[in-house]
Amino acid sequence: MEKRRLNNGKIKVLDSLPMLIVCIAVILALYLVCFTQIASTNAMRYMIQIFLYIAMAEMWNLLSGFTGMTSLGQQLYIGLAGYSVAVATTMLHLSLGLGMAMGIGVSILVSLVLSLLLFRMEGMYYSIATWVVAEIFEKLFLNWKFVGQGSGMTIRVEPYPRIHSICIISLTICVCAIVVVYLLLRTKVGLGLNAMRDDVGAASAVGVNVFRHKLLVCVIAAAFTAAAASIFLVNKGIVYPESGFSISWTVSLIFIVVVGGSGTIGGPIVGSVIYVFLQEILARFPGWSNIILGVITILTILFLPKGIVGTLQQKLHFDIFSAKRFSYSKRK
Amino acid sequence: MSDALLRVENLHAGYGDFVAVDAVNLAVEKGEIVALIGINGAGKTTLMHTVAGLHKPTAGNVFFKGEDITALPADKIVQKGLSLVPQGGRCFQRMSVQDNLLMGSYVRSARKNAKQTLERVYELFPDLAQMKQRPAGNLSGGQRQMVAIGRALMAAPACMIFDEISLGLAPAVINDIYRKIARINEEEHTSIILIEQDIRRAQKVSDTFCIMLKGKIVLSGKSSEIDSETLKKAYFGI
Amino acid sequence: MYVAQVIINGIMLGNVYALLGVGMSMILGIVKLTNLAHGEFIVLGAYLSTVLAPLLGIHPILTLLITVPLMFLLGYLLQYLLIGRAMKKGNEPALLVTFGLSVILQDGMLMFFLADSQHISLPNGMGTIQLGSLEISTLHLMLFAISLVTMAALTVFLKYTYTGKAIRATADDADVAALSGVNIGRIYAIAMGVALASAAVAGLCVGMKWTYDPSAGSSYLLIAFVVVVIGGMGSIPGTLVAGILFGLAQVIGGASYGLPISYVLLLIVLIVRPKGLFGK
Repeated sequence: MEKRRLNNGKIKVLDSLPMLIVCIAVILALYLVCFTQIASTNAMRYMIQIFLYIAMAEMWNLLSGFTGMTSLGQQLYIGLAGYSVAVATTMLHLSLGLGMAMGIGVSILVSLVLSLLLFRMEGMYYSIATWVVAEIFEKLFLNWKFVGQGSGMTIRVEPYPRIHSICIISLTICVCAIVVVYLLLRTKVGLGLNAMRDDVGAASAVGVNVFRHKLLVCVIAAAFTAAAASIFLVNKGIVYPESGFSISWTVSLIFIVVVGGSGTIGGPIVGSVIYVFLQEILARFPGWSNIILGVITILTILFLPKGIVGTLQQKLHFDIFSAKRFSYSKRK
Repeated sequence: MSDALLRVENLHAGYGDFVAVDAVNLAVEKGEIVALIGINGAGKTTLMHTVAGLHKPTAGNVFFKGEDITALPADKIVQKGLSLVPQGGRCFQRMSVQDNLLMGSYVRSARKNAKQTLERVYELFPDLAQMKQRPAGNLSGGQRQMVAIGRALMAAPACMIFDEISLGLAPAVINDIYRKIARINEEEHTSIILIEQDIRRAQKVSDTFCIMLKGKIVLSGKSSEIDSETLKKAYFGI
Repeated sequence: MYVAQVIINGIMLGNVYALLGVGMSMILGIVKLTNLAHGEFIVLGAYLSTVLAPLLGIHPILTLLITVPLMFLLGYLLQYLLIGRAMKKGNEPALLVTFGLSVILQDGMLMFFLADSQHISLPNGMGTIQLGSLEISTLHLMLFAISLVTMAALTVFLKYTYTGKAIRATADDADVAALSGVNIGRIYAIAMGVALASAAVAGLCVGMKWTYDPSAGSSYLLIAFVVVVIGGMGSIPGTLVAGILFGLAQVIGGASYGLPISYVLLLIVLIVRPKGLFGK
């Protein structure tokens, strides 16, 4: 009984003012590193990847870990964003900013339309349906002349931004994503989302507008995933159906969230850092990368189901970026 | 250990922080009918689910035929000869009555005699013999209850637990089912535990009784030696 | 006459589709799990037959004698050691584990067999049988027979054996099945074994009918899913009907619109009946 009491009286790290200051200081320090260009190009490249994966993984986590809508089709928005940027910059010679805006706009639009269709399904059906939709889009783009069919499109941004400005943009997307998820979960909406994850029927019975909540989450997730993906693909310089709409994106996101800790805000951050460095190591073993990621994911689910951050929080009784709106009162 | 067929010692069980079964001791002799009486939420079902292996206890032991069966899963406990008839006549809805009954003899020791046992069950419940091939999901509540009892009988248990079999059934049907239970007890010498809320009926049919309240057994004894007023007071906890 | 030909082709093809779906349907209906790796298991079955037939110098159909038990064992062990454990942690972890398995299998086969398209070649060329003005290829007839035999074997197994009854009972009410002495974990493992055994048969058929490669799993999974959603889970007759409906749609749609039609069909069914046409 004693231990249980301790568990419920979690120390909430971000709720204390000093920790908030530390967080802001870390973010400012990262910005400073980007602006002053003290980091090497190589280091910046890693940072960009980490920032972008954090943003995308936070969104997948928002869907799966916090709302219970396990999507296997977030690559849809990654592909759409990539093609939007390609069309905007390479064909219409617009700026990168406008290209990104277009990608985000298209993604929001598509997610709104899809939501009307997909929200009738629950659980596994929803997961499969999101995957099917992404596959349909891949086939569509494979046969669409305007976007270059199977060979895809090159993305040429003129003038090409310097690496440190890409780094700054990525960091901004990442910070915004975390702040949005944090604020979302700390408001009444977050309470509703958690209720929905645990029991949709009960949630709607107590007055949670399930449809509106799901819509909000999906649109936010689509927008941020698109934003992060457009930078990612600009860096790659090319987008084609098998890369943009590849299921590998979802494999990566699942790895990051599961290993880091599903249902925690800190999880995707830790997971992304691990993922980016692991990928570097795995690049030496071509072909094995997804296999090893899959094995690690399965082992984590079996033996560390709460992920690294979730397990640490439970063991050490703290809660970084607590997503809970109300703190547990101590039992008498 | 002792000669009681089923012995529950200092059993604790619960859900999360909630303690549903609190230090319960209980003994059932061979061939005896025990009534477990209590109001809703007293912990009767949790206690019996824990005994039958559907629910994990937090402390304490269950012995059956002198053997410790505390840590065993439900399917192993059935094999030892302890069967539970769950609340509400739960059946395999999409399977025929006959297949439902045959599932009862899934236990290896019962398979050999499945044919004879099936005959006996049909003899006990002639209604069921009329509807062998009907899906159990189409039956009435009372008929489903009979299927559930028949299914438990098919395993040839030494001890049967009936969880509120009278729940939601018409009085005539309840009387009928209770007569069958008495027959099972007489003919097979099966020990029987009845979970009941109806004090009068429980007292009438049982040899011994236990009254449960808030997870504890508050009163127990010979059913014939207790006056109904004391029984009622213990039941309501006044 | 043309219509009759189309219908015959649709029914023949539909039986193969039903075969793709039947294992998935069993797992959804019994274990209550979406096995996202089912497509990869079918591909694995196809590879096993492709490799074994020339290696042992036997007719491809005879490879089933080896692949079916092998895949049964694989399924049994995977469920017992891996998926069953994940299921204790909830639906989502179990789903993600099967997803992980699909990725591992796909890339594993890619490394082992490379990305080339494969086909199970039959020893003596297949002809056609003339029935009046109808033409039926012997290959189709063979696939049709394999599928029907498999479905019949599954039906007999589920209906008349103790284990089969226990499987149906567990699908209905796992708690009561446990109270009847059924070891639920073992039944799930057997069900997964049977599902993978059916995937081995499906793999053989797919390999004889079409070409395949390591990444073909996801399209088989989707076909299987369409069949399950239309036919209802756990019902073998439903799966057959759904497979044939789907086969007819494919034949009428033609080769170039085959896959898109399947996707759209699935989405329409899911939108109209979110839990499947025959779902509760």
